[in-house]
Amino acid sequence: MIGLISNEMMKIVNRKLTWIILFLLIAITAGSFVMNKLTEEPVSDWRAEQSELIERYQGQLEIDELSPQMYADTENKLQIANYRLEKDIAPVSENPWSALLRFSGLIEMVIIFAIVIAADVVSREYTSGTIKLLLIRPHSRAKILFSKYISVAVFALCMLAIVFVTGYGVSAMFYGFGNLGTKDLFLNAGGEVTEMNVFLQTVKMYGLSFLPILSYVTLSFAISTILRNSALAVGISLFIMIVGNSIIEATSRISWLKYLPFANSDISLYIFHLPARPEMTLSFSLTVLAVYIAVFAGLSWMVFKKRDTA
Amino acid sequence: MNQQPIVQFKHTTKIIGRKTIVNDLNFDVLAGEVFGFLGPNGAGKTTTIRMMVGLIKISRGDILINGHSIASQFEQAIRHVGGIVENPDLYKYLTGYQNLKHYARMDSGISKKRINEIVEHVGLKESIHNKVSSYSLGMRQRLGIAQALLHRPSLLILDEPTNGLDPAGIRKLRNNLKELAHQEGVAVFVSSHLLSEMQLMCDKIAVLQKGKLVSIENVQAFISKDSISRVYLEVEASQTELTKMLIADLNKTAIAGNGPNELWIQMNKDEVPELNKLLLDNGIRVLSIHVQERTLEDKFLEMMGEEK
Repeated sequence: MIGLISNEMMKIVNRKLTWIILFLLIAITAGSFVMNKLTEEPVSDWRAEQSELIERYQGQLEIDELSPQMYADTENKLQIANYRLEKDIAPVSENPWSALLRFSGLIEMVIIFAIVIAADVVSREYTSGTIKLLLIRPHSRAKILFSKYISVAVFALCMLAIVFVTGYGVSAMFYGFGNLGTKDLFLNAGGEVTEMNVFLQTVKMYGLSFLPILSYVTLSFAISTILRNSALAVGISLFIMIVGNSIIEATSRISWLKYLPFANSDISLYIFHLPARPEMTLSFSLTVLAVYIAVFAGLSWMVFKKRDTA
Repeated sequence: MNQQPIVQFKHTTKIIGRKTIVNDLNFDVLAGEVFGFLGPNGAGKTTTIRMMVGLIKISRGDILINGHSIASQFEQAIRHVGGIVENPDLYKYLTGYQNLKHYARMDSGISKKRINEIVEHVGLKESIHNKVSSYSLGMRQRLGIAQALLHRPSLLILDEPTNGLDPAGIRKLRNNLKELAHQEGVAVFVSSHLLSEMQLMCDKIAVLQKGKLVSIENVQAFISKDSISRVYLEVEASQTELTKMLIADLNKTAIAGNGPNELWIQMNKDEVPELNKLLLDNGIRVLSIHVQERTLEDKFLEMMGEEK
């Protein structure tokens, strides 16, 4: 099995596409953090700034067109700002962990790239005809498919780690290495303002995001295995991802949508206390994703095992 | 020579939809023989090969390799098989060496030394560290053979192996395959359209037509069986008419050939001495008698023609 996985890793690593993706991943991550630093305005008096923010948030809440998601977000921010002034807790000075937390969007980029790699890993063997020599070896088809799946998952995990490390590295150049003990104000699952360790929140967000990434990887992998067409696999997966983002909003109105993977695939919603529906919890989302992963993986296995390889 | 069966076809049948692609094959491929698998396009050769290596399911019957069923004991059965199915499709974005390493990892106990040995054997030492995308078809064919032999299989399956090889390469491959079969006891299963090549390479020939096995014989027996050859005869120009009459006595017809004093007759090869004696006894000055041996191609096309 180790041999099979190292074969698959060799095939991923030796492709040009992989290196283009890794380059883009690092360039975009580094670029985002640099841009953030360039547009940053120095804060002289945090109390005055917070009062200003409170006014702005209150103004925003009066606008009717605000989407439910935006509304909740503004409310949360308002609550934290009020709490700060009340308890006289200054915002934490800029540090790499807080910066990483703010760039949760980078995780979506990892998802997109992981979809592209996963879409190719099985269908490419068919289009190049190499599937024939791959299958006439003393290994069951299940093992061969599984080794491919594990390799893509490992590669996606590496991309997530690269984003984390690059983001941390670039921020550390601007703000220093940061203190593992730094605490900041967050809303807990019950909606109360609480002091939490920033480093642990960051690790939690990036670490748990592996599950949504894996669910898109599994989707793309399954489509590519079943249809043997990588373009379709990328297309369908990206379409679902984009449509999925707008479904998060609809989920607040239509309750059964919460059982679809979309509203569950953004872990940052839980870090910032913005669940699509009040009854949705982090463990609910993780369970839903795990079920989808199992179903997609099972489907690709069933099709791959049975198929006549022409 | 060890003559135990390596492959046993047992009522092997493949049905796709309502069409029977391969119909009830029953034959053995023995250790130590080069086995030629012939048939026109669409006869079911590739389908049969794909069933042999487990790429497609067998609808009815079974195929045993070294006694293991390819359907129910896939891993034990396929362990003894090396092959190329259709084109030598290898990973073009990897080097030749990486390709071999890839296949070596999928089998237990293939050392680096073995890989180097096989690279040398197929004559790819110079270019083994280049990407396969830069290889010619002949080089890819040789790399394909290298991966097939890596784990010392007892059954080697090659689909159109001479495709893309130059004449020297074809000759070397032919000798290699014969050596593998006759010296090391490997069963070599070759399918090809190049009939002249098959005639030189194979010990036994099986012919498939419309999914059915129509003939299986030793190659020499296959060619010469109930065979009528063409006998070319050259006599003094003045004696051609007399010769024709004499031949008519044998109940045969002599037909004028290309040259002015050339005749040809349809007859069995073993009747030639009789003809010769007859002509000599009657004072005909025979300049030459030449029997045109039939080739596998003649026989094959004749057979296909009959079936139609």
